[in-house]
Amino acid sequence: MPISSLVLTLEGSAEQRAAVLATLARDTRITVGEPQAGRWLPVVTDTATLEEGASLAESLRELPGVQLLDVVLVDFSEGAR
Amino acid sequence: MERRDFLKSTALAAATLAASRLAYGQERAAVAPSGAERKGSGLSWQKAPCRFCGTGCHVQVGVEGGKVVAIAGDQQAEVNKGLLCMKGYHVGLALYGGDRLTQPLLRKGDKQVPISWEEAINIIARRILQDPKGFGLYGSGQWTIPEGYAATKLVKGGLGSHQIDANARLCMSSAVTGFLATYGVDEPAGCYDDLDTCDVLIMWGNNPAEMHPVLFSRVIDRRSRGEKVTLIDIGTRKTRTSTFCDHVLRFKPNTDLAIACGIAHLLVENGTWNREFVEAHCAFRAPSEPATLQGKAISFEEYRKLLAPYTPAHVEQLSGVSQKDLRMLAELFGRKELRITSLWCMGVNQHTRGTAMNSLLHGLHLLSGHFGRPGDAPTSLTGQPSACGTVREVGTLAQALPGGRSVTSAEHRQQMEELWNLPAGRISDKIGYHAVQMWERFSTPKEKGGDIHTLWVQVTNPAQTLPNRHKLVDPSRTLPDKFLIVSDAYPTATTRIADLVLPSAMWVEKNGMVGNSERRTQQWFKMVNPPGQARDDAWQLIAVAHRLFELGFEGMKDREGRFLFEVKKDGRPVPIWDFARYYDVNVDAHLFEEYRKSTRLKHKDLAPYEEYVKARGLRWPVVQQPDGSWRETRFRFAEFDDPYVAKGRGIQFYHSTSHDDRAQIWFAPYEPPPESPDGEFPFWLCTGRVIEHWHSGTMTMRIPQLQHAMPQAYVELNRADARRLGVGNGDQVTVETRRGSLDLPVWVGGRGEPPEGSLFVPFFDERLLINMLTLDEYDPFSKQPDYKKCAARVRRREAREAKG
Ligand code: SF4
Repeated sequence: MPISSLVLTLEGSAEQRAAVLATLARDTRITVGEPQAGRWLPVVTDTATLEEGASLAESLRELPGVQLLDVVLVDFSEGAR
Repeated sequence: MERRDFLKSTALAAATLAASRLAYGQERAAVAPSGAERKGSGLSWQKAPCRFCGTGCHVQVGVEGGKVVAIAGDQQAEVNKGLLCMKGYHVGLALYGGDRLTQPLLRKGDKQVPISWEEAINIIARRILQDPKGFGLYGSGQWTIPEGYAATKLVKGGLGSHQIDANARLCMSSAVTGFLATYGVDEPAGCYDDLDTCDVLIMWGNNPAEMHPVLFSRVIDRRSRGEKVTLIDIGTRKTRTSTFCDHVLRFKPNTDLAIACGIAHLLVENGTWNREFVEAHCAFRAPSEPATLQGKAISFEEYRKLLAPYTPAHVEQLSGVSQKDLRMLAELFGRKELRITSLWCMGVNQHTRGTAMNSLLHGLHLLSGHFGRPGDAPTSLTGQPSACGTVREVGTLAQALPGGRSVTSAEHRQQMEELWNLPAGRISDKIGYHAVQMWERFSTPKEKGGDIHTLWVQVTNPAQTLPNRHKLVDPSRTLPDKFLIVSDAYPTATTRIADLVLPSAMWVEKNGMVGNSERRTQQWFKMVNPPGQARDDAWQLIAVAHRLFELGFEGMKDREGRFLFEVKKDGRPVPIWDFARYYDVNVDAHLFEEYRKSTRLKHKDLAPYEEYVKARGLRWPVVQQPDGSWRETRFRFAEFDDPYVAKGRGIQFYHSTSHDDRAQIWFAPYEPPPESPDGEFPFWLCTGRVIEHWHSGTMTMRIPQLQHAMPQAYVELNRADARRLGVGNGDQVTVETRRGSLDLPVWVGGRGEPPEGSLFVPFFDERLLINMLTLDEYDPFSKQPDYKKCAARVRRREAREAKG
């Protein structure tokens, strides 16, 4: 069950940011942290496989309102190899 | 707390910390959790540089039960500030592909059969003894510093030849010659800090969004924080980088020299060059007859005359870049208050005029005075993690000796003979073969001048990465007297055709040190054991050296008859050639301490090994302070930071080729490329990398996430060309050049898009070897081949044909 820490850099507009937050809230694999300066959002994903983790990260990168996605940590100690 | 909850809370803390850094800049960030603080989860954490690219990010490696189980961005690392790209955060999985090489293999007929290390070492020693001068070592910018140093000492100090070269010849040797021609000494004056302060970032044939992604996001993050940074992409195809840029300038391949000359022309004619800077610190140069790296001195008036033909109209006609854009670039360079950083990498280096183009880029910064202030820097990036630290600084090249020394200098040879305690005259004055020549000689019958009989390849995959493989590699495989030895961690296109395969330890399975693109030397310790009988590359070199020593080979003895690689502990030699005893001492530290004595000559001073253990890398020159501490240097040649600049000089190019502390502003003319599209081969073909894969994919194609993200090579086509050919995404086409052909699926409208009449194919996929097609023409000074442009044609494969 791999865990990844991500940081999403959100676009400037408040509506877009709200839409991103709403999308994230609907996904039980995602834990959202405290946004920093309103635009930099810490996120943790918890997925069944590394593949799923990577494709989830990719889908977040493509989300309207997400400007950039940085990965901070990937833990693949359990059931990932 | 459950282990899982602990992991999640650690993960959220790490993300929050990184987000805070991005939001507020690094000063506001909390102190990163250290390895010790994260213990208690069952994991132990240690620092290491990422295994992959020349950016040189640091990771924290989580080890549990003798395995690497987690990777985190290292919050304490200045380079990446806790962030990693998609390759970096999967780097731990590079160790655990299912088909690691675990024992030596010897070719018998068409099979490779297991043999012992003892036998393998004997075979290599015998091949060397047969004719030491015909033995070549072909290494890599992924050799660690101690590995490269051991290889250099073995060949140059032990075998008395210079038949050693590295794959970095294929990626950055034109950067080296550009630096030498301009400043008289290699490597950038600036560093990554320039990216934090520049107002304008110009990327010349460069795609950092994919190739140096963490560096690129460092700039994009500045913009996200509201800072104004103008980004300019000057290239031959649309890339991921282009989409972030304010100005995107497309030029016809090879005409970048005309663009650089055109900007210089406008600066001179408009009077916007920086007269004060140039008069104080620069001189002018032009190509000489016969051509030399130093060229000939010219006056400013001669320089001006040489530039005269490069009017905006003429440059527009040659390059396709509009006069308006040329004037925009000249206007930016002409503004003294701006801070301008130029970045370049393979687009400029893999060029038959690579040395000239590198020199022209330095020249633009010097002419306009955009040099020597933070944010004002001409910066060439390297692709590999230790192309700088190992290949350029240690000098694992046919013409080089450690510490920036040259084979052709009697004084330099004598200095190295002193350091290595060798008899006078042991080091040859004859330059060895550069990469293309070395492989050409290996692929030529002995009676026709093919005097390289044995080649030992370490940490690289030349059967995939050399150009024109049909000519440079394949013939050797049918010649009876040629023997290919390959050390690697995984089967590759090169191991598969080898006579002897040696299984290697990789990354944190061994101690290591590397040096990144900004002169930063980095260190890590072994954290896990390699699988099976895989062993350190440095050990392999030392074991062969010792076998030669045992067999009485004089070259492996110093003046007193001692083994060249003798390492002592408590006053007694340790038998480090016995792998069971190799880690009784820190061989890396020993090799590094010896090597660092050679680094002062060119003011590339390195600190003691222990200083690198404490740091996340240090940028040379690292100079000891009166209080005993060691201080790194961020900006060379600038008095405010470089301790080697004399007081009151401001800027001082203290290795000037004209011996007057001046840098050289070069004129170099545009010339047509050796091969251009014509009626028969109407397309340009460019090759390169993708973000998901590291070089030939040996490691990243074994990481499922990266392999799934980018499973195979493709050919990028412009939409208009695709329409004309009647092909769309996924359709098979045949790409042909005068050297070979390859069937590839089409990708249209993807992340990159070449202009009409151009193709792009990545080289990571060993099943689709694009280097069967590329040109083996090279730059006359650097000997670096041009992988970025040759003539090709493309045709649709009919369904019937594609199935067959
Ligand atoms: S940018 Fe390069 S060094 Fe940094 S994480 Fe990615 S591959 Fe590794």
